[in-house]
Amino acid sequence: MNTPQRLALAAVPLLYLLVLLVAPAGRLLAEAGELSVWVPLQDDYLRGRLIWSLAQASITCVATLVLGLPLAWVLARFDFWGRSLVLHGLMLPFVVPTLVAAMGVLTLLGPQGVLRALGGPDLSGSPWLLLYGNLFFNLCLVVRAATQALEQVSGSRVAAARTLGATPWRVFWRIEWPSIAPWLMAAMCLVFLYCLSGFGLALVLGGQSHATVEVEIYTLVAHELQLAQAGSLAFWMLMLSGLAALAYAAAERHLATVQRSDSVPRRRPCGWRQGVSIAGALGVLAVVCAAPLIAIVWRAMGAGLAGWAVLIEEATVQALWNSLRFSVLAVCLATALGLAHAFAARRSVVMRALVFLPFSVSPVAVAFGMLLLYPQWTASLGLLICAYALLAYPFVAQALAAALDAMPTQLAQAARTLGASPWRVFWRLTLPMLRPALRRGVAFAAATAVGEFAVTLFLSRPEWATLTTLIYEHLGRAGSAHRDAALVLACLLMALAFLALLVIEWSATEHFAIHKSRSTARTDVLGRERELGHA
Amino acid sequence: MLELDGVCKDWQARVLLRDVNLCIAPGETVAILGPSGSGKSTLLKIVAGLEPMDAGRIRFDGHDITRLPPEQRRFALMFQDFALFPHLDVRDNVAFGLIEQRINGKLARAQASAMLERFGLQAFARARVTQLSGGEQQRVALARALITQPRVLLLDEPFSALDAALRTQLREDFRQRIAAFNMATVLVTHDENEARAMGTRGLRVVDGRLDALW
Repeated sequence: MNTPQRLALAAVPLLYLLVLLVAPAGRLLAEAGELSVWVPLQDDYLRGRLIWSLAQASITCVATLVLGLPLAWVLARFDFWGRSLVLHGLMLPFVVPTLVAAMGVLTLLGPQGVLRALGGPDLSGSPWLLLYGNLFFNLCLVVRAATQALEQVSGSRVAAARTLGATPWRVFWRIEWPSIAPWLMAAMCLVFLYCLSGFGLALVLGGQSHATVEVEIYTLVAHELQLAQAGSLAFWMLMLSGLAALAYAAAERHLATVQRSDSVPRRRPCGWRQGVSIAGALGVLAVVCAAPLIAIVWRAMGAGLAGWAVLIEEATVQALWNSLRFSVLAVCLATALGLAHAFAARRSVVMRALVFLPFSVSPVAVAFGMLLLYPQWTASLGLLICAYALLAYPFVAQALAAALDAMPTQLAQAARTLGASPWRVFWRLTLPMLRPALRRGVAFAAATAVGEFAVTLFLSRPEWATLTTLIYEHLGRAGSAHRDAALVLACLLMALAFLALLVIEWSATEHFAIHKSRSTARTDVLGRERELGHA
Repeated sequence: MLELDGVCKDWQARVLLRDVNLCIAPGETVAILGPSGSGKSTLLKIVAGLEPMDAGRIRFDGHDITRLPPEQRRFALMFQDFALFPHLDVRDNVAFGLIEQRINGKLARAQASAMLERFGLQAFARARVTQLSGGEQQRVALARALITQPRVLLLDEPFSALDAALRTQLREDFRQRIAAFNMATVLVTHDENEARAMGTRGLRVVDGRLDALW
């Protein structure tokens, strides 16, 4: 692809980001300009919201690191029955909508939750609910990153350290920790970013007593019409999330240099201590990541036929139809944008960094900015779909960019010498080889679109209710019938999320089979170390 | 007849190829020797049309093909790591070039199967290329290159990925198969024994120029 073609391709996502992200964010800053940006620091209440937002994100980072690192070590170093299933299952929180997770936490620890039924304390109104919800989402992220990092640690270095007299504990601190630290640093940045800019969990679990800045912005805009104050808060959010995103980008640059193919071999557990550590690790994962989802299913089962009848109600069918059609339209747009961005980013570090832009700006800030900048389109379906696609397309672009990196340039050159034109090379070679990555990216994008909540609350109209907004509506009403309806609808969303998970993991396996086996064959033939760490 | 006339190429402010002139007749195999980074692989890519050159002309049978895109040259390039397509099976890899010539898919696959039989690979027709050994992959790559009856065959260190015993065994096998197709062949290698065994003429890249060895 020559430079003019690449520039033309890059113009599509760049223009999109400019119109739907940069311009709304700029408008938001202008709104804050009417009021001093220091107001959130001078006002006791708003300062408290800012401090709490930072505190809950920091506490989650520490908790995920303390819990996640031992879990990852067990998964990376021991070979036991069900290990592969656990690794696949770690993807589930990535596709579960935030609202479903929030419901799971409420079902476990809420006023009528399982803990209360077992004689435990009522944790509603406490910060524990939000922290538990944060852990549910982010523990798996840290465990996956740390497991992958530990699998990259050079086995020969570990063996050399052991022969030089280091105990396993000393080997961890002196050999393994320095290798995995960049991965953990990157994971911590992501956890901080997600917790800081998370909306659904904070809205449902934090309530007004533990409202984060994101929830406060929503309240100021939707209920109090204090736009200038909301703008100055959003300014601080943009700054803080921008800093976290920059730290992530800086940490991510070091990841490629620590990859190794002579990983430490996994061993079968022997002795009661190792057995207990595996059981403990699985127990922690079950309590943090599986229990909220199991609690939803369990309580929904108890709702009886009357509860499940919500599935055939007109409002539900309409919401499901809306969720599906909005998601399909958004995913089509996200796929086109993702393809353009991935191909344009092939040799451009700047384009690569720009993929992260929609991740690093909070959806509430974006939606609020759109509301201010395009007031004539606020009730337009087109803007809603475009906003969905904005949040979903980085998944497609990221997956495709990684797959393009893993594709050797010689393949396209070989095809050209065999008579294929550039277009035929794309059609017969590039596209089939990208298919698993594309499917994976599209599944992530679909999961994001189906579970989208923050943007929908801002830009949607009552007749465009989706499954997430319908659940939120039921949660806001009193009575067990509404609670049961919300639980059943959450089960429906979980089923959709599970479907996305199956597609993602199947695609990952296929991608890994193509690239890894090719890499292995080349390693056998050429005696080279070449690890493709993108799967 | 393939003719290179005054081919020049700079890379990162370094002269890689300087006024390279070369004529290769059909049936002739020219071996080009040189250390790593001397520009011999770049020369092959320039001939194939994959790499632009800074100056010079390339002609084939008197026609100037300097600006012709690689897919229209009908020159087959066999890469050092074979560049087999991992998403296709062995037979479809071999049939790839025929399908690009707009030959019916069924017919192309039948021809590919016949080619695989000639190369003793019929048992692997439906296998994934990643399931093959290094020697088998190399033969598939050669079959894929030869099936379209290219006007020129370009070989970029075709034996470097193999162990010593297999290299010697396949070298003779290769020489006979290439001879049967009677086309101009350029072999790039850093192994002089290999160059002497395969090449009817030997050249060495020295400071970007080609010096005759035999």
